[in-house]
This record gives sequence, structure tokens and C-alpha cells, in this order.
Amino acid sequence: MRKNDIYKLVEVMVGFSSGVIIGGGFVAILTVLGVIPRLVQISKSVKLVNIYASSVILGVLFGTYLSFTTITWDQPMMMLLFWGAIHGIFNGMLAAALTEILNVFPLLSKRIGLEKYIFLLLMAIVFGKITGSLFQWLYLVR
Amino acid sequence: MNNIVYLRMKKKTTVLPGSTLKLKDIAFISTTGPEKEKIENTHIYRIKEEDNDYVLIDCFLIISHFNKVYPNLEFELVGYNETIVHVKEKAMNPPIILISFVWLILFIGSAMTIINFHYDVSMQEVQQRIHYIFTGKKEEFPLWIQIPYSIGLGVGMVLFLNQWFKKRFNEEPSPLEVEIFNYQKDVDNYIAYHENNLNEEERYL
Repeated sequence: MRKNDIYKLVEVMVGFSSGVIIGGGFVAILTVLGVIPRLVQISKSVKLVNIYASSVILGVLFGTYLSFTTITWDQPMMMLLFWGAIHGIFNGMLAAALTEILNVFPLLSKRIGLEKYIFLLLMAIVFGKITGSLFQWLYLVR
Repeated sequence: MNNIVYLRMKKKTTVLPGSTLKLKDIAFISTTGPEKEKIENTHIYRIKEEDNDYVLIDCFLIISHFNKVYPNLEFELVGYNETIVHVKEKAMNPPIILISFVWLILFIGSAMTIINFHYDVSMQEVQQRIHYIFTGKKEEFPLWIQIPYSIGLGVGMVLFLNQWFKKRFNEEPSPLEVEIFNYQKDVDNYIAYHENNLNEEERYL
């Protein structure tokens, strides 16, 4: 075997192993944050949970393809609108699921007696995220 | 045959400082005997100044007391072993300045964390790339992705926390409500253990 072939073999090993670990980590994070169970709960479709799981896997593979490809598709702007909105919803769910937020509220409500204002404070976080994001894209990066 | 008195301790009760606890304040009682009312109105405890916020009443003390007073009755416990008595003044509304302050912390804090997150994961670069793949044109500021994305961010959060669509979707609790409930349960557990004088000796073992 030539030296180059060995290098290629090593590369394949490295690529495959990191893929396995990162794929596992990705699924683990989604599971811990409970985004899928939440979507299942909202849409009342426990039966379809396997379909949701496979859509996540397909999504990851598609994303991997997008990050390595050089093609372009010549799609209309509407496509971007759709893509961005869906991405936002997903990220919003992730952000809301982060345990920091879920743990801040019980503390706030009990310690400083703001039980009645939970909704108001929740909106603070939601609008904070929206404002922060818009501010970044419209001013900060320019 | 002895009459049996069934005692079910309340999990938790809130009283004003300085009030006197009767048995019916901290437990439900069921019995066939004639003494029900008398038992219910037995004075159990008077809240003292030094009790601070929480007092714990253990059923064991109650039962051993009643066993002495009513030797012909049999006391049986169903449910919780102790009652947490929360001593609290009439609830006052927190000042508006406090609410605004907390609101600001959360608002600015989450705005900053999302910005930091976007920089962390090079969101802008990825969006530029997606813009290029989809449209074939380079665009430094792909607002067509970014603005819908920002609004979707809020929609996703509301969806996850289930505040607005509560009635429409289902009666299951939102993750936030579950989290608050769990937190309260943990606090109660802690109080149940540490405010209980019967556990005092164990602690030093």
C-alpha cells in the first residue's frame, strides 16, 4: 500500500468518527432540551414521532450537504423568507428550552414574589430576543 | 370495637403570623364517632414570632398527643406525613419599580445573549452562504433571511412555552409550569426535612 492510501484511510477514519460523535451529540442536545416532545405535545401526534426523528436526521444530512457544496439554485426571495422564518421558530424553541430560562422563572416567582407577573416577564425575554436579533442584523453588523 | 379516626394531613397551608392552628387547619378528618367536631377544633399550635416563615407539623406528634387524650379512639393516617405551614403576611403587590427592573434585566440580558450566540456560531456568514446557494447572488446583509428569522425566534419561544395558545392546544402543562411545580416540590421537600424537629437527631449522626 502506498503512503497516500494510508493517509486517506486515516482521513476516512477521522471523518467517520467525528461524524458519529457529533451526530450523537446533536441528537442528545435535542433530546435533553425536549424540543421534539414539545412539538409532539402541541400537535398531538405521538404516533408520528418516528417521522419527526427521521426528519431531524434528514435535516442534518441536508445541512451537511449545504455546508460543503458549491452549487447555487437561483430560487426566488420568498424561499429565503420561508427558510429564515422556519429557522427562527426552531431557534426560538431551542432558546426557550435552555434550562437557564426554565430555572430563572421559578426563582423569580418565589423569591421576589412575582408570581402574578410571570407572563409579563416571559414577554421580556421573548421581545428581548426579537429586539436583540433585529438590532444585530439592522445596525450592529453594518 | 374502637372507632377509627382517619387523618389526612394537608400538604401545605398558609396562615397569618400569630394565628392559632386547629387540627382542621392542617388535616382532613373522617370518623364515624361523635367526637369529630371536638377533634377538629383541638388547638395544635400557636405561631410564634421566632418561627419565621415556615413551621412543620409532623403527624407523629399529633397522633401521639391524641392517643393520650382519646385512648378509646384509634388514629389512622392516610396521605402525607407532615404539613408545611407557611407563615405569611397578607400578600402585597410588589412595587412597579421592582417589576420594571426585573423586566429590564431579562429583556437586555436575553437580547445580549442572542447577539452573543449569533456571533458564536457565525450566524451572519451562514446566512450569507445560504443566500448565495438559494439565489446565486452574493449579499453581505441577507435581510430576507434575517428579519423573518428574528420574528420566528419569538414565535418559537412562545410556542415552546405555550402561553398564548394555552386553551387552543390542550390542557397539558407547559414546560415552564412543570418546572415551577418541580421547584416548589423540591423546596417543600427541603422544608419538610429541615424544619422537622424529629429529624434533628438524625442530622448529627
